[in-house]
Parts: sequence; C-alpha cells; structure tokens
Amino acid sequence: MFTTYSHFVKTVLVLLAGSVIAYGGCVSGKISGGKGATVVYIEAIPGKTFPAPAKHIVMDQKSLLFQPHATVVLVGTTVDFLNSDNVQHNIFWPSLAGNKKLSHNMGTWPKGEIRSFKFDTPGLVPLLCNVHPEMSGFIVVAPTPYYAEADASGGYKIDNVPDGSYTVTVWREGMKAQSEPVAVAGDATADFTLTK
Amino acid sequence: MRLCIARFFVAVSIPLVATFSLVAPSAYAIPAFSRQYQTSCSTCHVDFPKLNDFGKAFKDAGFKFPKDDETLLKVPHVLLGAPAQKEVWPNSIWPGSIPGLPPIGLRMNTFFQVTSGSRDRFNPLAPNNAVPQFIPATDFQTGFFSIFTAGNFGSDIAFWVDDDISVGGSNAAGGLGDGYLKLVNIGRVFHLPTDALHFRAGQFELDLPFTQARGINLSPYDIYSQSNIGAINALTGQQNVANQFTFAGAARGLELSGGHMYGGYHYSVAVIDQNTSGINQPANTSPFVPSATGGSSGGVGFASDTSAKALYTRFSYRFNLERDEANRKEIQAAGPTGPRDHTYLNLGGFYLRGNSRQAFIGAAANGTDTTSLTVHEPYYRAGGDFSFNYRKLNVYGLYMWARDNNLLPVDADGNVILLPFSDASPLPVRFVSSVPAKFSGGFVQADYLALPWTMLIMRWDGVNSSADRINGFTLASGTPYFAPLRSTRTRFTPGVQFLIHPNIKADFEYQFRPQQSVDVATSATNLQAAQNAFRVQTALFGLEFVY
Repeated sequence: MFTTYSHFVKTVLVLLAGSVIAYGGCVSGKISGGKGATVVYIEAIPGKTFPAPAKHIVMDQKSLLFQPHATVVLVGTTVDFLNSDNVQHNIFWPSLAGNKKLSHNMGTWPKGEIRSFKFDTPGLVPLLCNVHPEMSGFIVVAPTPYYAEADASGGYKIDNVPDGSYTVTVWREGMKAQSEPVAVAGDATADFTLTK
Repeated sequence: MRLCIARFFVAVSIPLVATFSLVAPSAYAIPAFSRQYQTSCSTCHVDFPKLNDFGKAFKDAGFKFPKDDETLLKVPHVLLGAPAQKEVWPNSIWPGSIPGLPPIGLRMNTFFQVTSGSRDRFNPLAPNNAVPQFIPATDFQTGFFSIFTAGNFGSDIAFWVDDDISVGGSNAAGGLGDGYLKLVNIGRVFHLPTDALHFRAGQFELDLPFTQARGINLSPYDIYSQSNIGAINALTGQQNVANQFTFAGAARGLELSGGHMYGGYHYSVAVIDQNTSGINQPANTSPFVPSATGGSSGGVGFASDTSAKALYTRFSYRFNLERDEANRKEIQAAGPTGPRDHTYLNLGGFYLRGNSRQAFIGAAANGTDTTSLTVHEPYYRAGGDFSFNYRKLNVYGLYMWARDNNLLPVDADGNVILLPFSDASPLPVRFVSSVPAKFSGGFVQADYLALPWTMLIMRWDGVNSSADRINGFTLASGTPYFAPLRSTRTRFTPGVQFLIHPNIKADFEYQFRPQQSVDVATSATNLQAAQNAFRVQTALFGLEFVY
C-alpha cells in the first residue's frame, strides 16, 4: 500500500515538473563588447505584475568594496545595506534609472549595522560612498523576474520565460545599455554587441 | 679679523634661507597609501595634503587604518620572519614585515607668478653704477619634483622619508624634508593607555599646531619663517642677536608624543639639535677629531653649532562638539549624509627653549692676543593656537611670542662696543645683558570647502618685529620686507584651490603685501623715517600632481 502511494506521488511530481519545463522557454545568448558585471533582463510586460519577493538581498561594504559589486533584483525587493568594515561608510545613489530626482542618501552607519531600502522603481542604481569615492557598486532593479547575470565569457541564460514577445535589455558596467526585441517560443537567442 | 664669525655666516646664509623660505613649502599627499589600500586620496584628505579626521587617525596609528588594517590592505605585507619567531626570541630576530609594494609617491608642481608694477620701485637700492636686478612682471617657474615614501613595518614601527629631487628645475638643489622612524604606542610596554606614548627619531617637522611642510598654502606662513636677527646699526640702538632658528625648518632629534589629533589630548616633547648660526658642516673636516661615521675626517658631519639641545613641547586638547557621546568619540562624525569631520574646537600651546650661540674674535686676558669668545644667548618661542571646524568651514590660527636675550660686546674698559663691528672697533672681552630682541605674530586662516573639489581660502599673516624695522633702515638684504614702514607687517592672502582629480590640483593665491619704502628721510627732529610707501603685490598660480 505504502509503495503504491509513493510511486503515485513520484509520478505526479514528474508530471508537474514536466509541465513547468514545457511552460517556460529560455532566452540565451552571448554578449560582447567591454568587460565587467553584466545583467540581462526582460523589460516590463504590459498588464503583468509580479509580487515583491519577501527575501531581502544583502549588499555588503567590506574591505572598502561593495560586495557583490553588482547585483540584480526584482522590483519591489528590499536590499539590506550592511557595513562590515571597521570604518564608517555611507551609501548614496545620484540617480535611479537615470532620474536624478530619485537620488537618495542612506546616511552613515558603523560596522555591523544594516540599513534597508525597498526599490520600487526599475532601473539602474549606481551605488557610491561619499567618503571613499573609489567605491562603486550597482543594483539593477529588473521589472520582471526574468533576469540573469552573464558569466565571465559573456554568456547568459534566462530560464522559465513564458512564450511571447518581449524586449530584452542588457546592462554592462561602463557600456551603453542595449535592448532588443525577442520572440520566445520555446528557446530563443539574443546576442548583443555593446559599445561605450 | 674683527669680523664676527657669526655675522659672516649670517650675511652669507640669510639670502639662501630667505630664498628657500619664499618658495612654496613642500606639500605631500601619499598616493603610496592609495596603492596599498586601493582607496582614493580623499579617504584621508580634504584638498590634499590637508588631512581630514580619518587621515589624522591614520597618521596617529603609524600610517595604518586604526582598526582592521590587515583586512583593508589590498597588497599584503611581505613577512620578514614568521610571527611565531616571537616565541623563540631572543634566540631569533623579532619578525617584522615590509610593504608588499614599495610605498613610493612622486610629486611635481609648477608655478606662474605675476608681480605688480611697483617691483621697480626697488631699483634705487642698486649700488651706484650698477644695473639693478630685473624683476619680470610675469614668470613661469618649475617648482619641486619630490619623492616620498612612508608606511609601517608591521610591528607598530612607522617610517617616513621625503626628499626634493629637483627644485626650480635645477635637477638638484633639493634636500631631505622629513626622514624618521616612529615607534607607535610604545606606552604599552609601560602599561599606559593605548596611544599614550609614541617615540620617533630622525629629521622631522616639529609638532607644530599647523603644518608648514604639509600645508595647502602656496606661500609659507610668515611667522614660521621669521628668524630673530637683531639690529646691527647704531642709528636706533643695537642688538647683538643673530638667531636663525625658524619653525619652517626641519628639526633633528627625538620626540615623545601621545594622544590623538582627531579628538582629546595630544602632546609632544622633542629634544632637537640647535644651529642658530646657520653654520653648515656637512662633513667633519677636522683631522684631529675622529668622526663616528667617517674616520678622522669626512663622515656625515655635524648639524649642530652647539652642544646644547633645544627643547620643544606642545600640548593641545580637541573638544569634539557633537551632542551624542558615542559619535564624539568616533574618528569621524556620523553626518546625516555620510561621515564627516567633527565639529570641534581645538586649543593648544607650544614652547621652545634654546640657547643660541655666537662666536667672536675677542681680546685675551693679556690684552694683546686674540682669542675666541663664545656667547650663548637663551631664547624662547611660545605661542597659543586654536582651530574651529564646523562642517565645511575650518578657521584656525596661532599667535606666537619670541624673545632672545641680547648680550652686547664690551671692551676692556667696560664700554659697550658699538655695532656693527668695524676695523676701528675695540676687541670685545666680555658681554653684558641688554634689551632683549623680540618679535611676535601669527596668522589666522579660514578654509571653506565650497564644493568637494573647491577650497576657498582667506589668510592673514602678521609679524611684529622691531628688528625688521630697524634693519630696514640699513637696507639690509635677506628679507623680502626691505624697509617696512611699521614694526608690524601684515599680509592678506586670499586663495582658491581646485581639485581637478583627487591627485591633481590647480591653485591660486593673491598676496596683499605690507607697505614698504626705499625712501628714508631725516625729520626735523633728526629722526629717520621711511616715506613714499608702496606695496609689491604678487599673484601666484600653481599646478601640482602626485602619483
């Protein structure tokens, strides 16, 4: 009896997994031009919203560096800014999505303390510290949960993308962001060559 | 032969000293640290080389981050012995370390100066039948090319060396600025509180209230460049003082210090060489006295002109004025938009005591032979200082008094010998006290950081010296204030500095100088008076970079 039930559950799980795979396509490709942290994401899908994740993302300030140097989060995500250094730090961003009116200064806090901020506007957030001007970090606030960070060779892969037509945007540090339309029906490919 | 030896050296060396004191002071930021920690100059500096509170703490700690230095150092030190070697000491050398990269920085600056039209008013001073020196209205000048290195050897031993490789485009003519070793926090050996006692030895700028060697100004503080050279003419009384000591020069010796410059108390006590006559003995040329560094002659010579040492002391207390106690004790205050320098009031005082030495040819006891007479004239320099900082505004200044005992030469009959000496003067046999030679003065400066890259500066310098005025009547050389109309000469120096990058700076200074005159007339009451006053103003542009 128990063996039969267990077999049934396994079968259901396999079917469910199969249905998910069938539902989600994949957008992949190669990014060339420049080096550095790279984020690829699908732009907002009209009429579709995504719940803000409950899980916080941590952006650390350690050894006079932002760690990670760049990260991507879904719009609505709360980022915890941690100071792990034994010197005081500050975090501010001079603009959000290029809009200087959305600049913000988080103030000063010592080692071990955290200050949090919820990012409700999609776009690029360039992080700076006003006492250590060499410090630089980036948060890319993606409008959809369909995003990925490119690997060192520039390859990327966004999984579980529903079929449809989208705009894929690439951001790479020091390069001009670039967008391309992509039609997803199963798998799709989008390569980018970035310029300064 | 009756020429006083000291006077001879005064005559020779004052123009040289004046020349060096008139050019821009050495100023250093330390890009070597930027490389080691991979951080910007502005981590430690506001408008380099002026230190912010964090930079002061970094310096206090022996050129290290005050906490967690190892984790912040991006280029690890090279170990000169495993740390465990300490456990077998004294049967091993105590292990140390050296910086992973040679901590070397370089600096270059260049100037453009404009001198006002009144510069030609000095032409009558040229000797008869001589063509006066031509002073150009505008001039491009190469400044300094300097090398400097600083850091620590891991075990709380810090070091600093800076040297001007080239001055004025001469490809030489520079010299050592500071060069010292500092044992940081040696008070721990005596169970003293942390940072209560440091020790350094070598050549260093005295622990002045405000640094001259590492200041942001293009021109030096007048009071720091002021020596006490008494009047040597018979017109208005006489002074037999030729003390060339100035605070602008580097000192050689030992120093104990403690406390912090970013809050609370700070003190220093230094014992230093004296060379008030300016006699330079770069090598020991006596064939009779062995030199510890070069046999019976040669070696590194002697820096002192007397066996006595001068004593310099300083004490200051800085009140950080933030309401929150924890914030007050932090190295930097927690501002609403980021760390910043504290709002503070720093009060301090300093005192230097020494004995200047002058040597003369005098009469021996038999009245016919000559002998060497040496006179030691005690002197002191004492002053107080303040610094107030509120956000982007820093107002600071000091006032200083100087006094040199004035011992006049007396002949065998007990009469005071009129100065200056001449061939007709009798030989001195002893000295008697007279009115001391004094000067006083100081400066007040306001620095306002209008933008993170723009510093506005207003500065007042004032020096009150009766000797200057008296000497002026004799048209003595060696001072930029040729014939000051008044005993007090003042200078206003507005300036602005722009950081093009954290390590590249453009400077400007305009120097409103005091009134001067080359026209001395005798009044109806038979008094000498300078007249037809004029000013020689200068504008100075500078460009400098460090890397």
